[in-house]
Amino acid sequence: MASQRRKRGESRVIRYIILGSWAVFCIAPVLWFLSIGFRPRTEIITPQPIYWPTFSLDAWHMIWSDWPMASYLRNSVLAIIGSVIIDLVLAIPAAYALSRYRFRGREDIGFYILSTRMMAPAIVAIPIFFLFRNMGLLDTIWALMLIYAAVNLSIVTWIIRSYMMDIPKELEDAARTDGASDLRILWEIIIPAVLPGIITAAVIAAIFAINEFLFTLLIASTKNAYTMSVALANFTGGSDGLIYNAIALVAFLAFVPVFIVVVAIQKHLSRGLTMGAVKG
Amino acid sequence: MKSRSTLSRRTLLKSGAALGVGGAFGGLAIPALAGSHVGDVASILADISVPKYVREDYRTLYNMSGEPLWDPNKDWIRTVDWEKVRTELSGTTVRFAIGAADQESAAEGLVPFEKLSGITVELVPIPDDSFYDKAIAEFISGNASFDALQFFSPWLGDFAAPGFLANLDEYASKWNLPLDDFYETYASNYGYFNGALYGIPFDCDIQMVHVRNSYMEQVLGGPVDRVNSIPTYDELIRVSGELNKIAPGVSGVGMMLSRGFWSTYTWEHIAAQAGMMLFDENWEPVFNGDAGMKGMDIIMSLVANANEGHAGAGWPENRAAWLGGQVATNISWQDSGTQAMRPDQSQIVGDFTTIYEPRIEGGRFAPPNIAGSTSCVAASAQNPEGAFLMLAFLTTASIMAMNEANANGVAPGYRSVLNNPRLQEVSQPAKVWADSLEHAWCAPRLPGMFEMEQAIGNEINRAVVGQITGKEALDNAASAVKKIMDRNGFYGGKPPVEYAAAAPGLYVGGGKALPF
Amino acid sequence: MTELSPNLSGAAKAAPAIRRRSKRMRAAFPYLLLTPAVLYLLMITLYPGVYAIYQSFFLVRFNSWTYIGFQNYIDLWNDREFWAALWNTLVIGSVALTLQCLLALTLAYHAYRDPWIKGWRIIFLVPMLFMPSAVAFMFKLAFMDARVVADLLMRVGVIENNIGWASSTFLSRMILIVADVWQWTPFLFIIFVAALQSQDEEVEEAARLDGASWFKIFWNISLPLMRPVIAVALVLRGIDITTMFANVFIITKGGPGGATETISYFIYRTGFKTFNFGYASAASVVMLILTVIIAQLVVKRAFHSGRE
Repeated sequence: MASQRRKRGESRVIRYIILGSWAVFCIAPVLWFLSIGFRPRTEIITPQPIYWPTFSLDAWHMIWSDWPMASYLRNSVLAIIGSVIIDLVLAIPAAYALSRYRFRGREDIGFYILSTRMMAPAIVAIPIFFLFRNMGLLDTIWALMLIYAAVNLSIVTWIIRSYMMDIPKELEDAARTDGASDLRILWEIIIPAVLPGIITAAVIAAIFAINEFLFTLLIASTKNAYTMSVALANFTGGSDGLIYNAIALVAFLAFVPVFIVVVAIQKHLSRGLTMGAVKG
Repeated sequence: MKSRSTLSRRTLLKSGAALGVGGAFGGLAIPALAGSHVGDVASILADISVPKYVREDYRTLYNMSGEPLWDPNKDWIRTVDWEKVRTELSGTTVRFAIGAADQESAAEGLVPFEKLSGITVELVPIPDDSFYDKAIAEFISGNASFDALQFFSPWLGDFAAPGFLANLDEYASKWNLPLDDFYETYASNYGYFNGALYGIPFDCDIQMVHVRNSYMEQVLGGPVDRVNSIPTYDELIRVSGELNKIAPGVSGVGMMLSRGFWSTYTWEHIAAQAGMMLFDENWEPVFNGDAGMKGMDIIMSLVANANEGHAGAGWPENRAAWLGGQVATNISWQDSGTQAMRPDQSQIVGDFTTIYEPRIEGGRFAPPNIAGSTSCVAASAQNPEGAFLMLAFLTTASIMAMNEANANGVAPGYRSVLNNPRLQEVSQPAKVWADSLEHAWCAPRLPGMFEMEQAIGNEINRAVVGQITGKEALDNAASAVKKIMDRNGFYGGKPPVEYAAAAPGLYVGGGKALPF
Repeated sequence: MTELSPNLSGAAKAAPAIRRRSKRMRAAFPYLLLTPAVLYLLMITLYPGVYAIYQSFFLVRFNSWTYIGFQNYIDLWNDREFWAALWNTLVIGSVALTLQCLLALTLAYHAYRDPWIKGWRIIFLVPMLFMPSAVAFMFKLAFMDARVVADLLMRVGVIENNIGWASSTFLSRMILIVADVWQWTPFLFIIFVAALQSQDEEVEEAARLDGASWFKIFWNISLPLMRPVIAVALVLRGIDITTMFANVFIITKGGPGGATETISYFIYRTGFKTFNFGYASAASVVMLILTVIIAQLVVKRAFHSGRE
C-alpha cells in the first residue's frame, strides 16, 4: 500500500527535509549527551563549550564504585516487576469483566478506572506519604511497588480490555457450549489470545514506572529504595556538586533496555499508548 | 587521581556502607573490625595521621611532612580516656543519620572510632534535599530511627525548640569536649540554643569572596593583594564590570541568586557588611531597613556583571561555574577557595585567591557565617552517650584538619586548626578565614528558620529578575517572616528563643580591631 | 447439554455443576472480577482524597493538628503564588501541547505514506524512551549550565552575548516547553500515524482521481476522520502536562520569581519545603476538584467518541 502511495506521492524533497530535520533534532542532543557521559568532568562546564572532548571512562567507573548503582538498578527492576505483576493480577479479571460482560454500571466503573489515570501524583502525594510512613513502609521497595501498581492499573486494565474486545465471540461461545467455566475460558482461551496486549500493557506500565519521579522522590531516602529515576537527582548537591557525566551514563543505562523492548512491540505501541482507543 | 593510601576513600566508603542499613544485595559482610574492639589505643590513634588520611597527590603537591596540622593538646581523641569509654559503652550500637553530602567523610572517620570505643555504628544516609522533612517526620512519629544526626545548622531551632534534641552539657563536661577551641561564632550558633548545648559544630562554613589571579592581575596591573585589591564592594562592582569583558565566556562575578535560601544567603552576606541585623531585641524583623536595602542595591549592581545563570544558581551551579572557569570572581563559601585545587574537577587549579571581605562605607567588617552543619543527638536516642562520643570523634580537631587538607567540603571550626601554620600552607583560604571568624556575623537559630530563609529568598529572587523592586522584596519578606514567626510561637508573650541568649553569637566582631 | 467437544479436555465433568449455579452468581460474576482492581484503586484515590480533604481543614504543625476551618482555602484564595502556579501550568501546558500537536500532525502527514515509516518511527521514538528526569538534566546542561545553545547561536551569528535563560520568564518557560515537546511529540506522532494508516484508502484514491491535491485530501478527509483520535491523544497528553513536575524540579525550581512553578511543584514546595501540610492539602483538593470537572466534561467525551 505504502509504495503505491509513494509513487503518486507529492514532493519527496519537502518530505525528507521535514522528516530529516526532525530526526536531527531528535538525535543530535542524544549524541551530544552521550559525549558528555564519556568525557572528564573538567570538560563539561567551561567558559565555552567543548565539542571535541577527550575520551574518558571516569564517569563509568564512578557510577559503579562510588555510588550504589547496582542498588539503584536492582530497586528499579524489582519495583517494576513487582508492580507489573500486581497490575496484571488485578487488571486481567477486570478487563475481562469490562469487555465480555454486560452488567449495570459497566460504563461507570470503566470510566472510574480510566479516570484514575488522570490523578495527578501531587494530589495524593502527601496522604500517600503519611500512609506509608504510618505503615512503616517508607524507603522500601514494597511501597514503590504498591504505588507504581496503583498509578498504572488503569492503563493496564484498559489496554488489555481493548485487546480482549477483539476476540470473536464465537471462540468464547464454542467453549461455553462445551461446558467450560468462565474462569477456565479466561485462563485457557482469552489470555493466550490477548498475549500481545498483555505484553504491551506490561511494557508500557514498566516504562511509566521507570519514569515515575514524584512519588519515588518522597518515598525513597536511601539506597534501599532509590531507583534510577530519582538517583539522578542525587548527583547534584553532594560535596562534589553536579556530576553530569555520571548522569548521562545512567540515562543511557536506563535507555537501552527500554529502547530494545519498545522496538520489539512497536506494532502495538499506538494502541497501548491510547489505552485501546486507537488501533495500531 | 586515585589515592594510593591504605585508607583510600573508596575502601572506607565500602566498609562504612557495610555498617549501614541494609547493604546493596544484603550481602555486604560486616568487616571483622567492627565489634572487635581489641585494639591498641595508641597505635589506632597514631594511624589517625596525615600520611594515612590525606590524599597522596595532595601530600606531594604541598610537600607535607606528615606532621600534624593541629594541636595535639586540643585534639579531643587524644585527650579522652578510651579505656573508660570501653568500660562503659563497649558493645553498644549507635545509629547515625547523615546528609548524603557529608557521608563520605563520616565513613572515613568511623572505623577507628569503632575500634577505639567498642561501639558499633550504623550509618543512615539521607539525601540532603529531603533531610529536613524526613528528620522531622521521624521525630514526630515518635520513634526516630537514629540516635545521632547531622544537619544544616539553620535548622537547629526547628529541632531544638520542640525538644527533639538531647542536651549535651553533661556529656561535654564529663568527657572534656574542647568547646573553647571552637570559634565563638560556631559554638554559639551551631552548638548552643537558648543557653544550653545541643550540638557539636560539624561543617563550619563561612562565605567569602574569591578571585581569579590571572584575570585580576590583568585588570589591576599587579598581583592580587588579599587586603587591598578589592577593599570595598563598590570596587568589586567596578572590577567585575571590567572582568566581564576580559575573556569570552567569562563573567565578572558569580553569585547564587536562585529561589529559596540561596538568594537569602547571598543577600545576608553582603547586607551584613552594611550593618544589617535580621531582628531587633523584640524579635521584630528589621532587615528591610537601610542596611538591608544597601545589600539589595549592591546585589542589583553586581547582577549586571554576573554570569547569565545567576538567577537559577544554587551552590551546585555556582560551584560548577566557578570550577569550570566561567566566572572571574565568586561570592560563595570557603570551599570555592579549596576545592578549586582538585584537578579532576577544576579548570582553575592554582589560579585563585580568597580575599578579605570587602567593606561598605558606613558598615563594618562582618564576614558571614552562613549555612554549615551541626551534629546532634536525638532526644529519643537509645544510646545518647555513645552517640555523643561518636560525634565528638568525628568532629575532633585532627580529623577536621585533614578533611580540610583533602578539600572534601567538611570544614573545621577550631582556632587551633585554622591558625596552625602547616594547615595554612595546605588550605589557601585558611588564614583569611581564621582572621575573619573573629568578626563573623550569623543569623539566629530560630524555629521556623527553614521556612523563613526560603520566604526571604523567594522574594529576593523576584527582585533580582525584575519582577519587583528591592524594597518591595524586603518588605514582602519581612511580613512573610513575621507570619512564620507568629505561627512558631513568637509575639505571643514568651518567645521560644531568648534574645539575650542568642544576641552575642549574632555578631562577634564588636569592638575588635581589624586583622589588617 | 452434556456433549463433549473433543477440543476441551476435562471441561465436561465441570459442566453440569456450572449449569446448576444460580443465576445470581452469574450476575455477580463480573462484579467479582472487578472488585480487586476497583478496591485497589479506591485505596489510592478515595483514601488519599478523603485524607487530603480532612487535612486541609487543619493547621498541621509537626504532630499537632489545629482545626482552622476554611482558613487554608481562604489563604489559598489570597495567595498570589497559588494563582501564579495555576496560570503557569495553563500557559506552559497549552503552548507545549499545541506545539506538540501541530508538529506531530505535520510529521505524521509526511511520514505515514513513506516507505521508510518504520525507520522514522524508531528514530522519532528515541526521545520518548529516556527517563524524563534525564531529559530534564540534558536540557538544563545544554541551555543553562554548559550554554551550548547560546554558543551555537553565537557561532551562527544570531546573537552576540550569552543568554540569561534563568533570569527571563519567557526563556525559562521556553526551555520547559522545548523539553516537553522534544520528549513527547513522538507520543502523538505514533498515535497519529497509526490512525492515518488505518484509514480507508479508497476514499483517498477516489478523491485523488478527482484531481485533489494531497494536502487538500488530508485537510478535508483524513484530518476530520482523525478527530476522535486527536481528541483522545490530546486528552491523555494534556493530563500529563498539567502534572509537570520533574522538569520544573530539575531545571528551574520554579524559575525566575516563580514564573515556571507549576501546580504540582507548588504543592510539593508548600508541603515539603515549608512543611505546611494542611495548606498543601488544600491546594491538592482544589486540583482534585478541577481534575474531576475536566474529567467529566472532556475526558468522558473524548473516550466515548474514541471508543469502538
